[in-house]
Amino acid sequence: MKRYGVLLKNELKLNIRDMNMVIFAIAMPLAVLVVLGFLYGTKPAFPGADYTFLEQSFGAVCTVSICAGGLMGLPLVASDYREKKILKRFHVTPVSPALLLGVELSIYMLYCAVSLMTLAVAARLFWGVTLRGSTAAFLASWLLTMVSTLSIGLLVGGLAKNAKQAGVIASLLYFPMLLFSGTTVPVEVMPGAIQKIIGVFPLNQGIRLMKASFLGVETETLWLPVLVMLAVTTVCTGLAVRYFKWESAAA
Amino acid sequence: MSCAVSVKGLRKSYGGKTVLDGLDLSVERGTVFGLLGANGAGKTTAIECILGTKRADGGTVSLLDLDPKKDRRRLFQKVGVQFQEGDCQSEIRVSELCEETACLYRDPADWKDICVRFGIGDKLNSAVKGLSGGERQRLFIVLALIPDPELVFLDELTTGLDARARRDVWKILSDLKAEGLTIFLTSHFMDEVEALCDEICVLKQGRTVFRGTVEQAKTACGCDHFEEAYLMLTEQEAAE
Repeated sequence: MKRYGVLLKNELKLNIRDMNMVIFAIAMPLAVLVVLGFLYGTKPAFPGADYTFLEQSFGAVCTVSICAGGLMGLPLVASDYREKKILKRFHVTPVSPALLLGVELSIYMLYCAVSLMTLAVAARLFWGVTLRGSTAAFLASWLLTMVSTLSIGLLVGGLAKNAKQAGVIASLLYFPMLLFSGTTVPVEVMPGAIQKIIGVFPLNQGIRLMKASFLGVETETLWLPVLVMLAVTTVCTGLAVRYFKWESAAA
Repeated sequence: MSCAVSVKGLRKSYGGKTVLDGLDLSVERGTVFGLLGANGAGKTTAIECILGTKRADGGTVSLLDLDPKKDRRRLFQKVGVQFQEGDCQSEIRVSELCEETACLYRDPADWKDICVRFGIGDKLNSAVKGLSGGERQRLFIVLALIPDPELVFLDELTTGLDARARRDVWKILSDLKAEGLTIFLTSHFMDEVEALCDEICVLKQGRTVFRGTVEQAKTACGCDHFEEAYLMLTEQEAAE
């Protein structure tokens, strides 16, 4: 536990000093919220809806930081540490891969949590966004969405050959997921075919759950998204730990 | 007493090219062992196969009576390593790197003391990337000593150090040896090898061309200076 504490404190300091995640995981989601806020204000989601457009989008906006941390920050830091031979140095110490991955995972979870809090406060204060459903269900959906997305990042960071490859895979996952997550453009306004395709992204399963629990509306298929995300988390985390590499394959 | 390092028949090749061809060596506890050879002779590969960071194609390795692959987490409580090209997190400070390293061990040495001993005690709050080459090199030796090890591996330990700093490092290592530390090093400086090593092994294209003491090497080659003997050993046509 002492090891975990010291590593977390130091790695978090380094991460904040780097500023990337402060911008992409804290400032950017807030900017998206503010833009949506100015565009839609307190307008209802659709004529006659008993919740506002912002309330409908809140879950999706929360995933901006999850995408940044899980699909950008986490894979890049893991592959960067491998390429710089920092992991090689850790290899000849008593540290376990699980502890190192756990520390990095915790850092990005913290970013996501801070982002969730700033978004909730800002949305409430300026546009009167209120959670209409169950807080517990919303937090559980958020947690599941975050953990499953971070586990994908863990796997990418763990298996990428080098930092460049990790960067390419990260971008290939990050931008489409962000674009089609309903964060920037609501899923509801997209053509039916695209809605079907992006429906299989685990992130969208999570957003569906978050939206339903935030608005307090019933979803017909509650268990499917939960199962999909649990499966993704288990498989990705398991593979990331099992096939963890201390060094780049080349050389 | 058993050996600190025991290597038998270690083999490694990359894409058909043999880098290590049946390396045998053993290092007594409390002694300094030097693995020598020209660039590309296989020294670094040997160290990495011994430490288990690279998978050898054949042979056995035992460090402090443990298997470096199977018993990794137990073994590295008591083994320190300085790799040839050490790097670290880009924004990290000296104190943070030392603290982060020390927290991994059950019973670490006081890293502030070691930093002072190595002359970088006034750099604790500096960013590692702002250190000079020599300071950086000393920092990575400090990191290898943080576990309070019984055995330490130093790959090209004084590359980049000035004459004064080299002497200081030798003195500290001799003191640590007197306290019972076993040292496994590689070096391109023959004065350093002569000053520190109890026993040496000279590699040439992955094969051992000499094993013994510095004095024995000089006698065997009929040279007054060790550097001449070393050059003779590494330049002669593949013997044995």
